[in-house]
Amino acid sequence: MRKVSTLGLCVTLVLATSASGQDDPTKHDEAQVSKNFQTPSYSPYAGRNFPTRVYFGDTHLHTAISGDAFGFGNKVNAEEALRFARGEEITSAGGLRVKLSRPLDFLVVADHAEAYGAMIEVYAGNPALMNDPTVKRWYGMLHAGGEQSFAAVMEMIQGVADKSIPSILLEKKFIRSIWEKHTGVVDRYNEPGQFTAFQGYEWSSHPGGNNLHRVVIMRDAADKAKQVIPFSAFDSENPEDLWKWMQAYEDKTGGSILAIPHNGNLSSGTMFSTETFRGNPLTKAYAQDRMQWEPLYEVTQIKGDGEAHPVLSPTDEFADYETWDLGNMDLSVLKTDSMLPGEYARSALKRGLKFEDRLGANPFKFGMIGSTDSHTSLATAAEENFFGKHSGKEPTADRWNHPIFDFNGLQIMGWQQAASGYAAVWATDNTREALFDAMQRKETYATTGSRMTVRFFGGWDFVPEDAASRLPADVGYRKGVPMGGDLAPIPAGSSPTFLVAALKDPYNGNLDRIQIVKGWLDKDGQTQERVYDVVWSDPDRRKPGADGKLPLVGNTVNVKKATWTNSIGAPELITVWKDPDFDAGHRAFYYARVIEIPTPRWTAYDAFRFGVTMGTEVPMTTQERAYTSPIWYTPGN
Amino acid sequence: MKRLLKEPLLHFLLLGAGLFAASSFLSTRDELPRDAIVVSAGKIEHLSALYERTWQRPPTAQELEGLINDFIREEAAYREGMAFGLDRDDTIIRRRIRQKLDFIAEDIAGLVEPSDDELAAYLETHPDDFRVDPRLTFRQVYLNPDQHGESIEADARDLLSTLGGDAAIDASSLGDRIMLEHDYRDVSMREVASLFGEQFAIAIVELDPGSWEGPIESGYGLHLVMIDERTDARLPELDEVRDQVRREWEHVRRLEMTEAFYREMLDRYEIVVEWPEPDTKERDS
Repeated sequence: MRKVSTLGLCVTLVLATSASGQDDPTKHDEAQVSKNFQTPSYSPYAGRNFPTRVYFGDTHLHTAISGDAFGFGNKVNAEEALRFARGEEITSAGGLRVKLSRPLDFLVVADHAEAYGAMIEVYAGNPALMNDPTVKRWYGMLHAGGEQSFAAVMEMIQGVADKSIPSILLEKKFIRSIWEKHTGVVDRYNEPGQFTAFQGYEWSSHPGGNNLHRVVIMRDAADKAKQVIPFSAFDSENPEDLWKWMQAYEDKTGGSILAIPHNGNLSSGTMFSTETFRGNPLTKAYAQDRMQWEPLYEVTQIKGDGEAHPVLSPTDEFADYETWDLGNMDLSVLKTDSMLPGEYARSALKRGLKFEDRLGANPFKFGMIGSTDSHTSLATAAEENFFGKHSGKEPTADRWNHPIFDFNGLQIMGWQQAASGYAAVWATDNTREALFDAMQRKETYATTGSRMTVRFFGGWDFVPEDAASRLPADVGYRKGVPMGGDLAPIPAGSSPTFLVAALKDPYNGNLDRIQIVKGWLDKDGQTQERVYDVVWSDPDRRKPGADGKLPLVGNTVNVKKATWTNSIGAPELITVWKDPDFDAGHRAFYYARVIEIPTPRWTAYDAFRFGVTMGTEVPMTTQERAYTSPIWYTPGN
Repeated sequence: MKRLLKEPLLHFLLLGAGLFAASSFLSTRDELPRDAIVVSAGKIEHLSALYERTWQRPPTAQELEGLINDFIREEAAYREGMAFGLDRDDTIIRRRIRQKLDFIAEDIAGLVEPSDDELAAYLETHPDDFRVDPRLTFRQVYLNPDQHGESIEADARDLLSTLGGDAAIDASSLGDRIMLEHDYRDVSMREVASLFGEQFAIAIVELDPGSWEGPIESGYGLHLVMIDERTDARLPELDEVRDQVRREWEHVRRLEMTEAFYREMLDRYEIVVEWPEPDTKERDS
């Protein structure tokens, strides 16, 4: 049996700067010592009631309950998925032993509500289903395995899209029994303070193949969750109906629930559309409802990164990151540039300002998280331990060169999968309640799989000395609002200031730079954007050029051996930044983007471990990043 | 594709073999006692219920008769088909039967309710799964490799000697700043590992409390560490972890039952694996 080594490698690589070998026990006096260190300006400890820990998790993981995951060969159940996420070694669908480099803090098993668990029944040959000729045919194909199994799943995905799926698969009775069992499993693995297991599922609406999917997360235990059965796209494909159902859930159970959309990049511009699902203009009520139920957006995942697109942000040299822009979800509609503003988070945030100006409410005032959307029951987002989108894409020598999607003669190849991402949540404790509440207030950020620590505060009177603080969060909360917040009313004649800090993932690459992305609505009612480099590593060596661009950080990646060194970049970056172009009359948002030094992409690890040579179209390095939730400025607030 | 071509061919061959077997079988059939196909009252109720589930009404008398006749044919065809070994090379039937057995094994495992004694014994025999992490109260002073470069180790030693053995010294303003705390109170080793990396956690849990030690390497750089207090790992009482123990007990039980099930089954067989002759030509190339 093949073995995939999990971590090890990068641990030994981290911190290549070690002593020169000569130990000098000579004593130095204190003046000498203090000369070697910066002196701090601030250090209170007591009475801190804000989040001091960031928790990492995956809010979007599929198991065998999802029809497509099961059809792709994933027989690994939710229980194993939970065990894996909390750090245990399990066996993947393909028979590989697999373990995370370190446990996750929380997990949402988010299986498709559509025909929830029905594929298991099809596979098991439930006699009540076998009267349907289509189901019977799928049964045969699933058991034949391989290509036939794949074909059955492709048919099923399209059956869900064009509503031709046999109605017997939607029997509420089946769905209820599987959902009830599942909520029980989740409760058993929820250990407050140790590991949080959320009740949840995915509402998978994609009319015409345009992705409008939402992951639905509950704050509650099984006793409340099982009072309902998941609202599915068969009930309605309209997000507004999902919100009504969510309201009904809260009314019925007294619980709390939220939804997180994802993959606007596969929506043909409909994710952040300027119209409602039915084609009506957006209203204030729509904007309020949307933000009541959908405080967050899943901005990065295996099916592409959705922060920015190079066509929308041509001067942003980091905008083209793991971009998927061939077409919509089933490739039935090809991408055109006019769709892009309705697909990417940055443009949606800008659109939101425009709507707020017009309607008095912002429909796209969301925070950001990342997650995997993996269909393998394995929440893997690390480059050196990436188990792919579905069970047909577990580590093999040729997975890079096989299509991951194959519709209408068009293909997306295995190498295009992004080993991304995770949700980072600043919460006061690792519990359902604390994490959920933090998501509600958007005190979150997205990472592409790295676990860097990022703080971002906005206020009116941060000063450069605050960046020298030993406890930036103390200053941050005292003088400003954290990520996801609104700037306090403007004092006369001020410009907003931001305290931003990032600490590297101890297992990953050093940090290249922190940027602040600003979007605003100008006096002509047009939206604008600008990316500012605010702090970076090796500042003595790296100065912005005449074009204002900061030189690249460099690259230590040895692609052949899939290694790198942390001899460039910095373990930590922190600064206070004041907006130099502020106009008090302009609505604006600000978010931080943290960029790591280049490290090997998962494809480089595959090429090295399997000894294969990949085509020149395949990227071999990556610069992992984090996107924080924005902080908004509203004139007259 | 290969499989698609192969299977009908296989079926064709089997069918041929089957017909041959059938003719020889039928010719001697008169001498054999006739097997009975009994359609019991319970079976008839079951057929009726299945019908009702699909059509939302009970079958008419005529329909029921049809169902019974169909069942008799199905039963006969099933027995004869099995006797001909038609199931043997059919992947679908083989997998389905195996799956049924697996489900039975799992169901049996789920039926058993663990006693307190069993749970206590499980806890005792699997202490590592339930051991409460060591907890540490410690202080750390950080050295940033970016700011010290080659001299980082020497600088760390300088600082260590400055701190000396004085546990009371306030070191919160020494070293380089980092977005981690200077002092951590009563945190589990697991938390330390998630904050500083696993190797750091393993290293500091071994340190003697009461003096500044180091430098110790983490993913960020070097640290000097003072352990103020350590609560060693301990084995919890059953009452503290009953739910977890039960969950693990059930999990292991399920795996064991399946394993035992197969072991017992396989014990009744002599297993012969005939590896293909190694192809020397291929190995040489």
